[in-house]
Amino acid sequence: MTTTWHVHDDLLAAYVAGRLDAIVGASVEQHVARCAECRASTTPLVDPRLLARGWDGIRDAVESPALPLPVRLARRCGLPEPTAVLLAAATSLRTAWVVGAFLALSFAALAVVLAGGELLAPFLLVAPLVPVIGVAAAYGHQQDPLETLVVTAPYGRTRLILVRTVAVLASVLPFTVLLGLFLPGPAWLAAAWLGPAVALLPTLLALSSFVGPRVAVAVVALGWSAVVLFSLRGLPATWPVEATQQLVYLALAAMSLVVLAARSSRDRRIGAVL
Amino acid sequence: MNAVDLTAVTKTYGRTRALDAVDLSFDRGVTGLLGPNGAGKTTLLRIVATSIAADRGDVRLLGRDPHGSHAELTEIRRELGYLPQELGYPGDMTAFGFVEYVAVLKEWNDRGRRHREVRRVLELVGLGDLATKRVSKLSGGQRRRVALAQALLGDPRILVLDEPTTGLDPTQRADLRRTLSALGGRCAVLLSTHQTEDVAALCERVVVLAGGTVRFDGTVTDLVATAAGRVWLCDDEPGTDALVSWRTGTGRHHVVGGTPPPGAVPTDPTLEDAYLLMLGADAHAVRAPA
Ligand SMILES: Nc1ncnc2c1ncn2[C@@H]1O[C@H](COP(=O)(O)OP(=O)(O)OP(=O)(O)O)[C@@H](O)[C@H]1O
Ligand SMILES: [Mg+2]
Ligand SMILES: [Zn+2]
Repeated sequence: MTTTWHVHDDLLAAYVAGRLDAIVGASVEQHVARCAECRASTTPLVDPRLLARGWDGIRDAVESPALPLPVRLARRCGLPEPTAVLLAAATSLRTAWVVGAFLALSFAALAVVLAGGELLAPFLLVAPLVPVIGVAAAYGHQQDPLETLVVTAPYGRTRLILVRTVAVLASVLPFTVLLGLFLPGPAWLAAAWLGPAVALLPTLLALSSFVGPRVAVAVVALGWSAVVLFSLRGLPATWPVEATQQLVYLALAAMSLVVLAARSSRDRRIGAVL
Repeated sequence: MNAVDLTAVTKTYGRTRALDAVDLSFDRGVTGLLGPNGAGKTTLLRIVATSIAADRGDVRLLGRDPHGSHAELTEIRRELGYLPQELGYPGDMTAFGFVEYVAVLKEWNDRGRRHREVRRVLELVGLGDLATKRVSKLSGGQRRRVALAQALLGDPRILVLDEPTTGLDPTQRADLRRTLSALGGRCAVLLSTHQTEDVAALCERVVVLAGGTVRFDGTVTDLVATAAGRVWLCDDEPGTDALVSWRTGTGRHHVVGGTPPPGAVPTDPTLEDAYLLMLGADAHAVRAPA
């Protein structure tokens, strides 16, 4: 610092020993924190190992931002620390969580209102789309403020999107699975909706590589809605998730993966497909 | 092998030809890129930063091809620092958090080493004391320095800086010059600017770009020399054939190009004079006559 004033030796000793009142103590502390010279003169007064550990610890605690609760939980479950930093910073993820939670909650509310009524169709309409919308949100804005840096970093945009995708799925799927368990009707239904959900995801990713995530999510949502609405015209409510249809979804998923692979090997654009 | 080798690089946006068959090579040292708005500076820097691909031509970075395999591209990006011309900041991030985020993207996986590196670059741009402040609460110039800090992470071998001095106060500009010239000894620094003083103070080499083509490529002294005998000071309003002229603070007219007005005294050209003359008719885009 540019000040020529420094903490007097006696004052410093009193500070280190904790003998100063709050006001003088605080001003000494503020100066010492900014003045390398005075910090150096406290060194002989304090156990050096303690001092080194203390400063590093304090700086770390003050400077590195706290992780949000869901990320801290994931950390407990073994999420690597660098990935946690990336997820904590993704504002788009927060949107995904909010969207996912909102859809799940509104669906639960609907279930209460309609208890016993015709519940299957709305569930089948919404449940497979929840992860799709979550993943689309995980792309982040086209004008993501950090986009330029994400693209040119060795970590890679594709990998970041996939990490976010997994994070969204991990946080959104339990909701929907839980809701499925409370559905009236045959027990296999609770798992059957995962078929279209799993097929729609690669479809979304493949479409996104052509038209971007926003248009892609709209197309996928419309397409799936059409399937469910079609089933309402006299077909059994379970029709969209019956075995034959599941095979079609499987084929769709396989096709999308082939498209993705082909595009990532041919595209001259830097930064891979997504 | 040069750090950066561009051969006949062309880039078009729709009908705009942003770069037209540009041949350039850079190695260690600081190179300044000058050119009017729309000259293609950002386009060139984005290609070197692997942010966009060239349409045609050959790009070699550290001897590798960025359009080659993914592994090759990643190898290049590990040695690259990039400050984009414009950068948004997520509002709720602190300066430290922002730089740390980029550090993770640059594969600083060990928490302790990463934190030390983030602190180092923040100190380097003079923001050590503001590390915990939210980026949204920093001034424009301070924010620019946060963005610069992330480019310096890990001592990159190619440092691409798009208008790094914009918005910095004179002290900070001087500090930045010191930092960059120190870096220039170890890596290839490529920077664009509209400030000829930055180039004069900092760059061994200057490249003038206009309309997507290279108009000049050489040392600062050589560029200044091209203007010898074409700059005057005079008391009266100059004729219309001067390229540009303006009334200086002393009341005399600084005249660049054209025929010398009556009573004109030749004066030593500055880098800006030479730059304006180099651009010729394009010069009015840079400095409108006062
Ligand atoms: N994303 C884009 N889409 C369409 N045209 C673009 C795009 N980026 C640049 N251009 C065009 O390419 C040309 C070169 O632009 P560039 O940004 O490289 O100029 P510049 O030298 O960096 O200018 P400035 O000094 O204003 O930053 C301009 O004519 C611009 O209109
Ligand atoms: Mg530019
Ligand atoms: Zn002191």
